[in-house]
Amino acid sequence: MTDTQTPAPLDVRPAKQGAWKRLSLIWIVPLLALLISLGVAYQNYADRGTLIEIAFEEANGISSGETVIKYRDVEVGRVEKVTFADGLGEVIVQARIDKEVAPYLDDDASFWVVVPRVSLRGVSGLETVLSGVFIQGNWDNEADVQQYEFTGLDQAPLALARQRGTQIVFRARDGQALSDGAPILHKGIKVGYLEAPELSGDGTSVVANAFVESPFDRRITSATRFWDTSGFSVSLGAGGVALNVNSLASLIEGGIAFDTVVSGGAPLIEGQIFDIFANEETARESLFASPDVEMLTVAVLFENSVNGLTKGSEVRFQGLRVGEVLDLTAVVTEDRDSAQVLLRTILAIEPARLGLGADATPEQALTFLSNFVRQGLRARLVTGNILSGSLVVELIEEPDAPTAVMNLAAQPYPQIPTTSSNITDVADSAEDVLQRINDLPIEELMTGAIDLMDSIERLASQDSLRTAPASLAALLDETRELINSDDIAKIPGEIRQSIADLNAIIAQAETSGTVDRLNAAIDSVTGVSDNLFSATENLPQISAQLEALTIKANDLDLDGLLVAARDTITNIDGIVQATAAQDLPQSVAAVVENLRTVVSSNDLAAIPTDLRQTIATVNTIVSQAAAADLVSKLDGVVAAAQGAVTSIDNAAAGLPAITVQLEQLATKANGLDLETLVAEATSTLDSIDTLVGSQSTQDIPASLSAALDEVRVFLGDVRNGGAVNNLNTALSSASEAAQAIEDAAASLPALSARASALVTQTGNTLDGFGERSRFNAEMLAALRDIQAAADAVSSLARAIQRNPNSLLTGR
Amino acid sequence: MAHAGKGLITAREAGLVACRNCGRVHAGDAGFCTRCESRISSRDPASLQKVWALLIAGMIAFIPANIFPMLKTRTLFEHSDSTIMGGVVELVGHHSYGIAAIVFIASILIPVGKFLAIIYLAISVRNRSVLNMHQRHKLYDVVEFIGRWSMIDVFVVAILSSLVQLQGLATINPGIAAVSFALSVIFTMLAAQNFDSRLIWDADRIQK
Repeated sequence: MTDTQTPAPLDVRPAKQGAWKRLSLIWIVPLLALLISLGVAYQNYADRGTLIEIAFEEANGISSGETVIKYRDVEVGRVEKVTFADGLGEVIVQARIDKEVAPYLDDDASFWVVVPRVSLRGVSGLETVLSGVFIQGNWDNEADVQQYEFTGLDQAPLALARQRGTQIVFRARDGQALSDGAPILHKGIKVGYLEAPELSGDGTSVVANAFVESPFDRRITSATRFWDTSGFSVSLGAGGVALNVNSLASLIEGGIAFDTVVSGGAPLIEGQIFDIFANEETARESLFASPDVEMLTVAVLFENSVNGLTKGSEVRFQGLRVGEVLDLTAVVTEDRDSAQVLLRTILAIEPARLGLGADATPEQALTFLSNFVRQGLRARLVTGNILSGSLVVELIEEPDAPTAVMNLAAQPYPQIPTTSSNITDVADSAEDVLQRINDLPIEELMTGAIDLMDSIERLASQDSLRTAPASLAALLDETRELINSDDIAKIPGEIRQSIADLNAIIAQAETSGTVDRLNAAIDSVTGVSDNLFSATENLPQISAQLEALTIKANDLDLDGLLVAARDTITNIDGIVQATAAQDLPQSVAAVVENLRTVVSSNDLAAIPTDLRQTIATVNTIVSQAAAADLVSKLDGVVAAAQGAVTSIDNAAAGLPAITVQLEQLATKANGLDLETLVAEATSTLDSIDTLVGSQSTQDIPASLSAALDEVRVFLGDVRNGGAVNNLNTALSSASEAAQAIEDAAASLPALSARASALVTQTGNTLDGFGERSRFNAEMLAALRDIQAAADAVSSLARAIQRNPNSLLTGR
Repeated sequence: MAHAGKGLITAREAGLVACRNCGRVHAGDAGFCTRCESRISSRDPASLQKVWALLIAGMIAFIPANIFPMLKTRTLFEHSDSTIMGGVVELVGHHSYGIAAIVFIASILIPVGKFLAIIYLAISVRNRSVLNMHQRHKLYDVVEFIGRWSMIDVFVVAILSSLVQLQGLATINPGIAAVSFALSVIFTMLAAQNFDSRLIWDADRIQK
């Protein structure tokens, strides 16, 4: 301390106060900060939710801190950590779930990762392409014992826990029909889904879980049958061809349909197992059989080929299905000197179906069968389907069968003796029929007809007709007598009458338009063949009647008919060429030339020529004396044929009628008393001759001038009466008729060509159902295309599933 | 020598007291500044208490500022919360070392450094120090100067939050950490301000 510039004394002693008294209020600040911090921390801790662990096969794009967990599309949690389980076996996703929701996470809670999915039923999870995947949770709204560890599902479960419905299990022989997510349809309405099928524990079948939504599950009882509706089915069964196509989705994805036909089944229980049948038919058939019933197994040894018999083929007893073929094997039996290969067919027979009551045992059925065998029961193969040639085993009673007993000791199963099989191969018989039709000597028939025409023409243009003038002198004498006679005077009127009649006949033939109708009929046949594809739905009945038809057609005496027709034609030919007929022109010529000589009028001079033609035509017409009848009958035939092709049902019944009619026709044609007619004509001419040669004829020269006068008067009458004109008209009509017939004959090749086209088309149609046909090939190609498309879609879906970003990046 | 060995004499030793507001020197027993009327005292007896209290508050606030998310970024595709340290790591991951360094220095290094500096100064007032009083005074100046720059983080968050509000497409919201960080900075600055730098000289004397 110095004495210079002593500063003012300042108390610099540190304040000696109590520690608490010195405490400043400022300490409240850190205290508050601490409290607030702690408060925030606690708040955060309290809010952070319940930690759960979900085990997944793979993380699928889950990232910690970002992937959210949603329930009913509301965010209820967030993934906190993604780690591996011990041994890298699976991915453990740790997540925080909101406290409000956590208590509901009991043992029914399930989690799956939602990824974009493209399926036939649509696109789902597309939002995850942008936002990234999220985990969807699903649990019911009842809080149970809370769980903290879960196993994630590979994909969305079939039914959300809140959905009402029933879970059932399907069992099938193979998994082709069962695809993941395939719909369950009831009367075409989607009522549920399938899960991915899995091999059953023992590997013998495929099982798939399915979910049927409420209230449709009430439609299902233990008597419900499910069947596969996937794709389309072409079944060529005993009922004919049936093509069933369902929805496009089920075409590719498959589907299961069901129906409950029989009432009284037990109510559905959760997890009940149902078998899937191959199609609706078998499903419905199975309704009448309990799948658990014990079967009687017997064997049948067939000697002949069992081609067409397959596993599952029917076994019929008195027309009813009693079982099916279990297996087909070949066995060699050693006879004394030669070995024989027999085909052992194992049959499974349901005792209940033999009429033994619902609780019949196989032993009872065996006793029953062996009793029947003693009475003549035999097994045989019969055609089950005439189109496909499939066989069924039939148990029939043959009363006159040689005595046999059932070999109960045979190994491996008791044997039922056989009898000869009854296999009808409709394809072969149809081919036979067509072959026979092809082989029919139609051309020969035509040749015969042409020959007949030629003969008639030859007859008409015979020299003897031209040489008629030679007998002019004789006839001149006779003409007077002829002209004098009253009978002769009546002749022109009668000729006129008959010509008018003929005219009417020919007009009728013309107006009835037989040829046109035949053409129309053929057109409709062609139309029918065109529509044959569309007509396949009629095939069930048709095939049955086709069989009868083919049998009938086989039985038809077509050859006989043809022979008869040919006989007729030959007969007619013979008649035409007969001496009587040959004489006829000569006589006529004589008469005509007499007349011509007698009557020198120019009008009359034309008559012989015309008459010659007329007689030729008349001959033709006369040879078709039943022309009117024929035309109407032909009409009937054509109408019947037309009706027949329009409805092949009627054809089956109509063809016999046709053949009967044809036969009658042939018989009638055969029976035509042409010879008598010719004989009568001959006798008429003869009597004319006689008349001419009679005594009074001798007086001709004397009364020649008078006769000439009278002739002139007669000719005047004739001219006035228009007989000549009538004759000319009749002749032109006859000529027209002949032309029409020729036209008809000309249209016959067209007819046969059309018939041949029809046959070819029918053949093609039948071939179309063949195995290696174009239809099949195209169908297969179409199916391959569909499959390729489905593959493409599924690979796209896979690609998107694996790498959702590719949608954005375009890779 | 009654005066400091280096020939320095404190105002207190000279019986004087300066107004810290306007700088006018008064007699040692003056209670108020005659010029600006602010309260003057030769030494603030509660200074150290205030420093410690505010420092602790700042440190407490600094904990949630680092634990909780600073920015809540929500875009169309994702939703992310980033803490300060997380942001730094992310920036390093994106090879933005410069920005990462700035964020790290401004948000971590400087606040922590300030804490340490203030703690050191507060302790060195009572105890012997390695640094001499000039160095410590310089340290105090640096702490006071640099304190305000720590608020840069908070400003960034505030600007981002107000600018990036594109409904649906992208939004950025401040997290709890932003508030905590701001509080931490404020407390630290207050602590530094409440430190009576004159105590540095006193301490030197006591040590002598």
